[in-house]
Amino acid sequence: MKFKTKWTIMVVVLLSLSLLLSGCGGPKQSDDGKNAEAERDYFKVGVITSLSGASVYGGNVTRRGYDLWAETVNAQGGIEIGDKQYKVEMVYADAASDPATGADAVERMVTTDEVDFLFGPYTSGVTLGVAPILEKYKVPMITGSAESPLIWKQKFKYTFGSIPAVDLTGSAPVSTLVNEVEGGAKTIAVIGVNDAFSKATAEAFKANAEQLGLEVVKYDIVPEGTDFTPLVGAIKELNPDVLAVGGHEQTHMEVIKAAKSLGFMPKAFLMHYGITTPDFINNLGTASEYVFGGAVWTSDLEYSDELWGSTKEYVEAAEARWGNMPDYTEAASAATGEVYAAALAEIGAVPPLSEEEREQLVDALENIKVDTFYGPIDFANEGDWYHNNVGLQPLTIQLQNGEQKIVGPSDVKVADPIYPVPGWEER
Amino acid sequence: MDLFFQTLVNGLLIGGIYIAVAAGFTLCFGVLHVIDFAVGEWVMLGAFAVFWLNFFTGVDPLIFLPLIMVLFMIVGYYFQPLLQRVITNQQSNALLMALAFTFGMSILFRGSALTLFGFNQRSLTTFLSGKNFEILGISIPALRFGATVFAVLVTLLFMFLLYKTKLGLAVRAAAERQDVAGLMGIDSSNIARIVYAIYLGLTAMSGTFLGSIFSVHPDMGLRYTLFAFFVVVAGGLGSIQGAILAGIMLGLINSFVAVYVGGQYIFLILFTVLYLILLVAPKGILGKGW
Repeated sequence: MKFKTKWTIMVVVLLSLSLLLSGCGGPKQSDDGKNAEAERDYFKVGVITSLSGASVYGGNVTRRGYDLWAETVNAQGGIEIGDKQYKVEMVYADAASDPATGADAVERMVTTDEVDFLFGPYTSGVTLGVAPILEKYKVPMITGSAESPLIWKQKFKYTFGSIPAVDLTGSAPVSTLVNEVEGGAKTIAVIGVNDAFSKATAEAFKANAEQLGLEVVKYDIVPEGTDFTPLVGAIKELNPDVLAVGGHEQTHMEVIKAAKSLGFMPKAFLMHYGITTPDFINNLGTASEYVFGGAVWTSDLEYSDELWGSTKEYVEAAEARWGNMPDYTEAASAATGEVYAAALAEIGAVPPLSEEEREQLVDALENIKVDTFYGPIDFANEGDWYHNNVGLQPLTIQLQNGEQKIVGPSDVKVADPIYPVPGWEER
Repeated sequence: MDLFFQTLVNGLLIGGIYIAVAAGFTLCFGVLHVIDFAVGEWVMLGAFAVFWLNFFTGVDPLIFLPLIMVLFMIVGYYFQPLLQRVITNQQSNALLMALAFTFGMSILFRGSALTLFGFNQRSLTTFLSGKNFEILGISIPALRFGATVFAVLVTLLFMFLLYKTKLGLAVRAAAERQDVAGLMGIDSSNIARIVYAIYLGLTAMSGTFLGSIFSVHPDMGLRYTLFAFFVVVAGGLGSIQGAILAGIMLGLINSFVAVYVGGQYIFLILFTVLYLILLVAPKGILGKGW
């Protein structure tokens, strides 16, 4: 009996610890009662992103962006509404890299924590899981990360996105590789991982390649967790000029490792999100060099900004806070807060927001155009990219000496694209 | 034809790297009757242990293999009694309890690693990383080749231990009937501790290779748990020979489907095969499982 009691206690302790450490706990409970809630003089901002699971890295990239905005706004006294300033308090929920978990977490966040508005998830898959819940509760969300065009085709009223969809941005790097390098690419192999964003990226690469007259020698969508070696081995036999990959940073690292281990070096690797993250460069070292990608923002751009002053000042602030150069996802996440601040100031709504004020906020978001360090944010009000920020110019980037350089389109490039890229042994 | 042989080699090497994990995992089930849901997390902890050793000393990760083996054998030897309490006959549903316990452990390890080591992806670079050699026009990735040779060697050594030594006889006796083995003078609780120690040592060492081939991060284990399950169930629970064969089969299916059918069908075909094996030969492909 004594043994059983001891055992029960141990199991309870272990389970509680595991829940606590894995971040599976629900959203932070507020101490505020209903009355206190009515008198709240700060905005309660929900952050739903992946703080555990397969997308934990990207989830934290978005969180860093959102957090830096909140810290900067609070340090300056808060969001200015009329003649008063209101600070922001961030409330986090872990989507655990899973759409269903994300949907549950956001429902708890909206009903229990009663957040005024939300910052959205890291992956497109989770965004697609979360968005219908926000339609139900009529709470606006802007995601600083999701890039799948599928989200915008659904025409969610309460979901907005700061980064243009990948079918808009994927065209630039393909076009650079075909038209703006000597001897232009003629053949391409495209592989992608079977999730909303990665698949859309692969589809965008393929569609653009076909449109520009490239021969697509292989196109394959593989499940997450696939060992890429056989596939890369098959592609090596086909010897395309370009190997394009739709995936996140881990996928890209594994594809590069597989190619290197098989001694396969196409004239160029084309990858999209992830190659701009510090982990990609740190882990692959010289193997990360010369990889092409698509982006809408790099730290080389020069925009002015009300909160930070300029792109340069934002980059300095982000580097000082997190110790890394921010990539376009982190930057888009940070800029997202500025849009909320401008829209709230415009409608003059003070916390806590009523349902009517949240509706006004959505209307304001639809019509507002905000100039930020990340570029202009202007959400589309109709069409296939409904509520997506379509105003930014797609850029071709290439990693050169460990830095992201804009190498296309030719009217905005800051460095020349290197193509064909040097082989593994020549680095 | 070159592509066929390249695909064959890639498949054998994919299977090869899972052999050591599968051999340990199946032995753990065979002797302790524990389906260890945390097998992937032990791989992850092994990979992290090597990562930090390499980080602080700058010595090649593969040099640490023996140290990792010893380190995790000690962990296993002292950890096993805790597990034993769950699976002891006094508890009803020992198998289910073990499953729940190791599932909890996997969450605890994953969460702890995330808290302690952060969310970054890390890479283990060995002297074999990124290198390859060619035989008859077929590229052989050096690191995967090294991992497979290593896995085959340790598994052979392990089988020698199991089938040619007195300790091995005691282990097999305990696996057969723990109570009868006890009556014959075998200290079965000590055997269980040794088996668990060997299992952890093998698994953690595999982590070194898997971390170098892929990457090291708190969530890396799930993939290996899944593959270990496939290999062990297809090979027959408790059968080491079956696990080796199933590991190679897993690699070959993976490789040939990716190249000749299409990457999107890999898991569909893999698990259809597993389903058929369970239907036709529930004791595994060699019919030697439980």
